[in-house]
Amino acid sequence: MVFIVTALMIEAAPIIEYYSLKKDMSVKAFQVYKNSDMVLIISGVGKIKSAMAVVHLLSIYNKGSKMDGSDVYSNDILVNIGLCGAGDSNYDIGRLLIINKVTDMDTGRDYYPDVFCGKNLPSVSLCCYSRPIKSKDMKVFCDMESAGIMEATKKFFYAHQVLILKVISDYLAPEKLDKKFLKSLIENNITLIDNTLREVKYLNEKFKKFSLNEEESKFVEKIVKNLKFTDMMKQIIVKDIVNAKKKGTDVLNVLGFSLESKVNSKLEGKKIFEHIRQKLK
Amino acid sequence: MNTLDKSSNKIDYKGEGFKTKNLFNVIYVEEAAFKYPITKEVLDKYCNLQVITIRHYKDVFNRTNQHFQIQKQYQSLILAVKDKPFLYEGPQVCQNFGYPNFYYTSFLLNCIFDCGYCYLQGMYNSANIVAFVNVEDFKNSIEQESLKKPVFLAVSYDTDLIGFYNIIPYIDYFYGFFKMHPALTVEIRTKSGNQSFYKTHTALDNIVIAFTLSPQEIIEKYEKNTPPLKTRIKAIKTALDQGFKVRICLDPVFINPVADHLYEPFYEYVFSEINANKILDLSFGFFRMSKEFFKRIKKQSEYSDLFLDEYCLNENVISYPKEYQNNIMTRHYQILTNYMKKEKIFSL
Repeated sequence: MVFIVTALMIEAAPIIEYYSLKKDMSVKAFQVYKNSDMVLIISGVGKIKSAMAVVHLLSIYNKGSKMDGSDVYSNDILVNIGLCGAGDSNYDIGRLLIINKVTDMDTGRDYYPDVFCGKNLPSVSLCCYSRPIKSKDMKVFCDMESAGIMEATKKFFYAHQVLILKVISDYLAPEKLDKKFLKSLIENNITLIDNTLREVKYLNEKFKKFSLNEEESKFVEKIVKNLKFTDMMKQIIVKDIVNAKKKGTDVLNVLGFSLESKVNSKLEGKKIFEHIRQKLK
Repeated sequence: MNTLDKSSNKIDYKGEGFKTKNLFNVIYVEEAAFKYPITKEVLDKYCNLQVITIRHYKDVFNRTNQHFQIQKQYQSLILAVKDKPFLYEGPQVCQNFGYPNFYYTSFLLNCIFDCGYCYLQGMYNSANIVAFVNVEDFKNSIEQESLKKPVFLAVSYDTDLIGFYNIIPYIDYFYGFFKMHPALTVEIRTKSGNQSFYKTHTALDNIVIAFTLSPQEIIEKYEKNTPPLKTRIKAIKTALDQGFKVRICLDPVFINPVADHLYEPFYEYVFSEINANKILDLSFGFFRMSKEFFKRIKKQSEYSDLFLDEYCLNENVISYPKEYQNNIMTRHYQILTNYMKKEKIFSL
């Protein structure tokens, strides 16, 4: 799944259009648009709202991705796409940037996404402020959401799975901008954005965590129910199955016997649990 | 290299398109590291690489959500200033070669090679390489210790200094220092085939070059990015010809039905190429790892099939059962003692 967070509708609109995303009417707290492999949320302005949006998205759309019990959503990516101000006029208005460092200007804390893709894009550091910056003397790129994205994602994603993409909207003079122009800045970069997302998705896929397929997952759910396994026992069995698969074991064949087993107590379940573990070794 | 088709703005994302041609993905530089000459040299050498300024190397290196195996493919270099301590006591799982005062030091954290069995995968959160630039601080600390007593110092344990020689030639920077301190015995452990150091420096009595050798089949399976056995043998010959003391490290040795058959012809080959009498000594060790590192590696999404085997836990170290080790070691010693005296073979 690709999760996209934008602060404003004018940033989201070209993406919604390009990927034909449909509004998810079941979500009330934020505006959310989705298709089969992408969800976009409009967070509102500011790092707290962006952090809230990330967590809200994950709580709704990512149930079941963590079969192995780890805290990381290893098969997904999260992208913050938005506009930024530039104190550095070396780059043109409308230039798409990829961010390699985010500094929260309130706390002084730095965040470092691992940037392995988008090598054709300028890679820069970004300062995240709590209010719009108008000083022309600052040689920095600034936004208002990135620190919230970085803080909220670090518990759930690997550093390479989080991408901050910013389009320069102004040279720290945000009051002169009109909505149509701002929308066009994202529109003009949509192909580059799409290419970069494809790169990250491909990289992620290439190093995807070795996990259970659908049939195996269903199998696990069934024996967990029939044999009254606890959540901890389920996690251990999943880990053992993954290791057995890596060794080339035909897991479903080896464990076929357990599908027929049913127990009346947890103690009986425990005995079969040990038997299953032995079979998987 | 990005294969950007400018007319369509499309990238060949399915090929090796996005893989950078450079050795490093980016270079992170600590603010405090900019003033050191090594930093300047590295930044001059890799002037086409993105430089990101950081406050402390641990801000990048110790992040909790790093994917070790992907980072290994896109390694970054972190130039940093090391704080105390500069010396560490030698670990129990490593041989001290009869030296009571055994220390190691790390100018580099992590390695350019990518060995599937390496404990570094479980030791660090990151696969990026940290290079410390304050070499004078290391020298002062080593000097203080070596003036008190004779010291055996391993300088290339958590890395490969000779493999890194073309990037930062640390051993050049320390050569004069080692020469001035004969009470300091220095071991430089390597898998590298780089011969530049041996060809450009006179051998010192207190420097031992320790070459790690494995059967070619093991190299191909588990020692990614390392040079083949033949290249290492060639480097050993050059080092010996130039008068360097050479140690051979047979470490890690694996026990399994396939590996068991590889070692006898491997020993025969090695000692048909190298005159065993010229070798200082030999270290022998089975695959072993601290329980914590082993567990951390198994939590990662990718790891070598070695970690799927059954091992024994003994004093917090995971390795083969003692009886297996004894049996196999006896067999290996029978062969090795054809070439070397038993007193010259060290094992744990």
